[in-house]
Amino acid sequence: MRLRQKVSTRTNIPTASMSDIAFLLLLFFLVSTKFRKEIGFKVLLPEARATERIIKTENLARVYVNSKGQISVDDFLVLPEGVSTRFKLKVLENPGIIAYIKADKHVKYDYVDQILEALRDAKALRVIFATEFKKG
Amino acid sequence: MPILPRPKLSSEAEIPTASMADIAFLLIIFFMTSTVFMRDKGLKLVLPEKTDQIVTIGGERVIRVSINDQGDIFLEEEAVTPLDLKDKLTQRILDYKAKHEGKDPLVIIRTNVEAPYERMIDVFDIIKQIPEARAVSLASIKTGG
Repeated sequence: MRLRQKVSTRTNIPTASMSDIAFLLLLFFLVSTKFRKEIGFKVLLPEARATERIIKTENLARVYVNSKGQISVDDFLVLPEGVSTRFKLKVLENPGIIAYIKADKHVKYDYVDQILEALRDAKALRVIFATEFKKG
Repeated sequence: MPILPRPKLSSEAEIPTASMADIAFLLIIFFMTSTVFMRDKGLKLVLPEKTDQIVTIGGERVIRVSINDQGDIFLEEEAVTPLDLKDKLTQRILDYKAKHEGKDPLVIIRTNVEAPYERMIDVFDIIKQIPEARAVSLASIKTGG
């Protein structure tokens, strides 16, 4: 009977490339992170069960309406008529633009109605009302 | 004064890279935790185009859902609760379709300008949940006008 000779091997994990992997991940996150263009308003969104996820976000142009009825487009405080002029330029740049209306749920419908009318004027006909998922 | 030659120190300059991975991972963790994924979500709608043409739609084809300044909901003339609205509206749409060989009726949400925006979204949400309701339009009512 032959006994096997014990081979003394030291196991070690190669850590030289660890930093490369880490930097790769870091670069990935840095590149893929998109920063929001505007600050907008803090709004309390209404809730809806039929809420859909929006996958393509490149075409979105946000319109904020806070509970006081102030309207903000590209961080400019505008009147409802101003929405129309701003969106006219946006439509020229990108005909497939989608207006993303983030309005406070307590605001009067009047403001939203005026914005919709302004968007129709600007021929920005695709609209999304920002909502939260309703539970239950 | 004799200057003695200093003994040369044979030391190689080295940058310690052992902790590089730790630094990088720390940065990754910082970015991962500080990134807030803003998921855009909402209710889609396509507005009607503005034309000079006046399009008249047969009275029966239009189903009106109205919201008054208090936020009460009416289906045509009848006051309804949000819970009832879904069933009653579905029934109306199906009735219309049965009568008119599967033609889609037009549902119009007429919201009073004084009503809270939330109410309109509630009603719009209910209508969105009805698969038969294909044509939805928004309108507004001005008090005293």
